[in-house]
Amino acid sequence: MDINGLTIKKFHDGLMNKEFSAFEAAENFFSDIEKKDEEIGAYLHLTKDLALSQANKIDVDLARSLPAGRQGKDLGILAGLPIAIKDNILIEGEQITAGSKILENHIASYDATVIKKLKQAGAVFLGKTNLDEFAMGSSTENSAFKITHNPYDLERVPGGSSGGSAAAVSSDMAVAALGSDTGGSIRQPAGFCGVVGLKPTYGAVSRYGLIAMASSLDQIGPITKTVEDAEILFEAIRGKDMQDATSVNYESGIRNYGLEDIRKLKIGLPKEYFIEGLDKQTSSAIDEAIKLLKSLKIEFKEISLAHTKYALSCYYIIMPAEVSANLARFDGIRYSRISNPHSLISNLKDIYFNQRGRGFGAEVKRRIILGNFVLSSGYYDAYYSKAQKVRRLIKTDFNKAFAGVDVILTPVSPTLPFKIGEKVDDPLAMYLSDIFTIPVNLAGLPGLTIPVKKYKIDRGELPIGFQLIGKPFREADILGIGKYYEQL
Amino acid sequence: MEIDKKTLEYLAELGRIEIGKKEEEKLLNDLQKILEYFDELKSVDTENIEPMAGGTAQKNVFRDDEKDENGKTKNENLVRQFPEKQNGYLKVPPVFE
Repeated sequence: MDINGLTIKKFHDGLMNKEFSAFEAAENFFSDIEKKDEEIGAYLHLTKDLALSQANKIDVDLARSLPAGRQGKDLGILAGLPIAIKDNILIEGEQITAGSKILENHIASYDATVIKKLKQAGAVFLGKTNLDEFAMGSSTENSAFKITHNPYDLERVPGGSSGGSAAAVSSDMAVAALGSDTGGSIRQPAGFCGVVGLKPTYGAVSRYGLIAMASSLDQIGPITKTVEDAEILFEAIRGKDMQDATSVNYESGIRNYGLEDIRKLKIGLPKEYFIEGLDKQTSSAIDEAIKLLKSLKIEFKEISLAHTKYALSCYYIIMPAEVSANLARFDGIRYSRISNPHSLISNLKDIYFNQRGRGFGAEVKRRIILGNFVLSSGYYDAYYSKAQKVRRLIKTDFNKAFAGVDVILTPVSPTLPFKIGEKVDDPLAMYLSDIFTIPVNLAGLPGLTIPVKKYKIDRGELPIGFQLIGKPFREADILGIGKYYEQL
Repeated sequence: MEIDKKTLEYLAELGRIEIGKKEEEKLLNDLQKILEYFDELKSVDTENIEPMAGGTAQKNVFRDDEKDENGKTKNENLVRQFPEKQNGYLKVPPVFE
């Protein structure tokens, strides 16, 4: 079987038509991963035993459900589907490192809610993908274990922090993947790797079993080859969960938008996103995308999101504050302990200092310390409280804009995928990679990265994505437009 | 805002993080640049603006005060991960000397 270019739909059809079994498919993916992943480095750990037993079960179910001419309709669209999971999402009994040395020996104690849902839907988990440590970074270079390379140019980064998931999907080492997005960690790597990435509305998907980074911003979402696939996977993982008090139930709205419905949606172009610092090639690619969408007779309108330029500062105050609290649990006492050459350390406080000092990488330490700073008395009002107020202003900008438009279109990232090592020593330059994705998290909105079609792509060329931002809980709007764009 | 060595050491102490001499220099330098960047926020007028604390739908969530076995994590899975344990309990070094 040829696994290249497989989408969820194509995989499902192939399985139902008995072109291949789920077991064969999984084996094929593993042998491909063995060949390709040495140079790409998308996976930290393969969950082969789990995958093959999951696949086997699907094949048994399939054989059972097909007596006399029946077409196996009992099996859902995700049955047997080989997918990759970012290594900050828990699968019971499997390694979970979050890309950090401090968890290098840790085995997940339970299934994340999204994993439970996907297991029920019959999905097959190929493995855990590489990420920046605790999802902190924009290039996946902050992983304690390995570098992931961009499949389009091995000297460049795949973006981050879900760089492993994006690279795996982009290079056909998984049909789809899950990532997490706190400031752009699904959308930016999807853009860099030429695939689709959806950050759902805050509250759309349960985060139970996601290793928390910044709880007022984190969301889990799909990374896929098509917008249609993103919709399928999103529908499978979303919904209220008692284990995550921020999760909510809502109607997904009209799923099958007709062209007439699409034409009723107005798209806003925020002038603050089309700025001088924007890479020229990116800018002209975005123009291409807009031109194509205009050919669908969708109306465009210039809008203003006045506080956009403050979003980065706002984010880099609020996020580290939450990081410093969330990462306090990694103490070398409860989850795992890295081996210690000075095994004489027996005092509790010394264990904390030693384990966290050696277990956390530079970026994680930087953010914990920064978080402690902005929360400490004397600085709280000037930094943390100020940032929360600015966050409100950013949210209000979006509310006002959405009174006049339904969807907002922006670039995903101000630059093309950069060279490995280029920004790793300059945190501020790295942070700037996320200026167009961060405001979406601060406002809790859904955002979708779609590859610009013109750049669909010769080897040597780099992919460029554009971002559609929707109203809260209106993923249907951005996915609807995306699906029409894709078919053009 | 200047961040000095003493402040950095205090913040690292609060975070229970051991940092080496070389690390300290780079951290000081990085944090300084980041804090300078934050200065732009001073120019934003936030008079009478309510701080925004979280995501979108901020509502209290209640459930019946009953034991919920659904989704319960297996005790032995957690215990297995403890670096030090005794009789199924987490073993911690003495807190009081």
